[in-house]
Amino acid sequence: MATISGTDIPAVDESSIHTTAPHLVAARKTDFTYYWLLVPIIVLFTIFITLPAIIGFFFSFTNNVGYGAWHFIGLANYKAAFSDPNIRHAYGFTLLFAVTTTILVNIIALALALGLAAKIKWRTTLRGIFFIPMVISGLVIAYVFSTIFNVSVPFIAAKLGISGLETSILANEHWAWTAVVIVSVWQSCPGAIIIYLAGLLTIPTEVYEAASLDGASPWQQFKSITFPLVAGYVVINSVLALKGFLNVYDVIVGTTNGGPGTATQSVAMTIFRGLSSGDYAYQMANAVIFFLVTITLSILQLGFLRRRGVSL
Amino acid sequence: MKAAGLGALATSAPFLTGCGSSSGKTAISLHETKPEVIPYFDDLVAKFNAQSNSVEATHDSTTDPIADFVRNRPPDLFCDNYNLTTSIFVARGVLSDLADAPEAALIDPTVQALVSQYTSYKGQTSALPYSIAAEGVIYNRDHFKTIGINSDADAPKTWTDYVGVCKELQSAKVVPIYSTFLDPWTMQQGIFDYVVGGMIDVADFYQKLVAEGADFNANSPVTFSKDFREPSLRMLELLPFMNDDRSGQAYTTGTPNFAHGTGAMYYQGPWAFSGISATNPKANMGTFPLPVTDNADDTKCRVNLDLACYIPTGTGTAAAAAELMSFLYGDNGATCIKYNKDNLAFAPLKGAPRADDPKVAGLNPYVSAGKFYQGAGTYIPLSIPVGNYIQQFLIDQNVDGFLSKLDADWQRLVVRTAA
Repeated sequence: MATISGTDIPAVDESSIHTTAPHLVAARKTDFTYYWLLVPIIVLFTIFITLPAIIGFFFSFTNNVGYGAWHFIGLANYKAAFSDPNIRHAYGFTLLFAVTTTILVNIIALALALGLAAKIKWRTTLRGIFFIPMVISGLVIAYVFSTIFNVSVPFIAAKLGISGLETSILANEHWAWTAVVIVSVWQSCPGAIIIYLAGLLTIPTEVYEAASLDGASPWQQFKSITFPLVAGYVVINSVLALKGFLNVYDVIVGTTNGGPGTATQSVAMTIFRGLSSGDYAYQMANAVIFFLVTITLSILQLGFLRRRGVSL
Repeated sequence: MKAAGLGALATSAPFLTGCGSSSGKTAISLHETKPEVIPYFDDLVAKFNAQSNSVEATHDSTTDPIADFVRNRPPDLFCDNYNLTTSIFVARGVLSDLADAPEAALIDPTVQALVSQYTSYKGQTSALPYSIAAEGVIYNRDHFKTIGINSDADAPKTWTDYVGVCKELQSAKVVPIYSTFLDPWTMQQGIFDYVVGGMIDVADFYQKLVAEGADFNANSPVTFSKDFREPSLRMLELLPFMNDDRSGQAYTTGTPNFAHGTGAMYYQGPWAFSGISATNPKANMGTFPLPVTDNADDTKCRVNLDLACYIPTGTGTAAAAAELMSFLYGDNGATCIKYNKDNLAFAPLKGAPRADDPKVAGLNPYVSAGKFYQGAGTYIPLSIPVGNYIQQFLIDQNVDGFLSKLDADWQRLVVRTAA
């Protein structure tokens, strides 16, 4: 290939040709291949994500329900969204949920990854077990946990006489969100564990050997070697996790379905339900606001973590 | 439609067109999604196709009609639940006027009036009722026999009687009212709709409420805080008669429990009977309307237009759809009457025969006399999560919080939608 294409080199390059020229040509050809790898995805992304987003943005200034007659109403949807207690509450709940879950997932996943990276017995089997939640659909997990919370936990609590747990936590306005956090953490840990395991494997074992020769305790090793070296993975995991948890939907639908009352209604749920409740345009305005909130949070998060001397 | 530029992008989907038929017949789709009767309509559609020379119908029981409207490719004929989502179709003028359809003449006017109680479009007849489900208190006849109530006629007729029955059941160590608070809709269509509907004129309340338009405020002639206060307090009076584990029970777990005899009464519609008899074929049940005041004449049952026929505009197949609709009603409504008889529902036709199944016959006198209302919760647009509010209210029992939230939400909604 290289020799055939070598004949196509323009005359102007003759002076500097020698051995480097074929490489240059090869590099240019490869560049082109990369474009071909990207173009289909860019086209698909544009058709299925960007374009609908722009259309949604456009309709957020109208009173459209998705079909039939409609007209422009300016910023009325945005004004109404800002004063809607249900939408505000959804943001409050979603942020609280996403931040709590992100922190818990990262702590637990890092701890589990440390354990699973160590030379322990049945390591492969244990890794397999810890990855199971990853291959189960979120809705299935949510329905199973909802039975645990509604039936099993109250039953066991009543038998053991533990007060406060005899009624389902999902029916408790103030604590239902913690149940959603528990389910989400359980579901999301494997993904984070994989990234942390990959990170831990990049740390050369010699560093630890040297540290133990110097008498460093396991905690000192973790603090001074492991954590700084996987810090980049903490950034990746927390950005991905926060972004994912802000969009929480299926786990809530399967456990509390937004209840009791509207205590666990997430932003994604309010947006999605707009279409069936004839609030398409209104919830599109909400979606635009949500998009800006998510972008802002991600930028802030990256900035904060970068200032801590970590880079992606 | 104004500003068609981006709108056209959203609605045109060239790769989705083309539903021609190879047989030379006009291909149309019937949208019917009521889970319990999908096989029933499969059968009807097959019979229709066998006898029609020009139309080939398919039965669509799964797709989301809203998405089809968004794609500008709505089903050709609906025979589906008439609810607030449908009323958005009506309000946006995407349904055709059926006033001149021959079937329109068959419908009982008091039932036809239910269609326009939510909304109407230029005075048109946007939908024709096909099946009315009447709902009340489903009761376990075996439990009622133990306290001496042996027939529908002996069921309580006033609030005082009703509370008396509840207390007797309690003394007999039976949970009087079985509830499933985990599913907000069960409280909305049950305790909320029954108590409000039994105490106030629901249609009249909402007519006045809607008439206020964007001027609605706390001092309007009708508000939730004023008119729903007494019913809300009454709802709380029913709580002591309910199962203790109600907040952890859902419809899917509660229905089998009730079928096995846990609890004497269940605030559900006839749809629950399929679940009840699937669990316990020997369950011996009946239905009576919930009395909420001490005047027996106030007692009414809740109804909903479980199925109604409507034809979207601009499909180009209106004639074929009308042919299928005529077939679904049958000669003088015969097929419609048979459907309702087979499915424990009431036919919405003039002089229709009574429902004779003992499970629902207790509601007969009320349906025949026009003593019914559409549930108060069903008038509230889906943007207001009224089911969730009712759930919260029945747990925290805060009447003022519940009603002022409804007023505030209604006010915000009318201001927003007036824009």
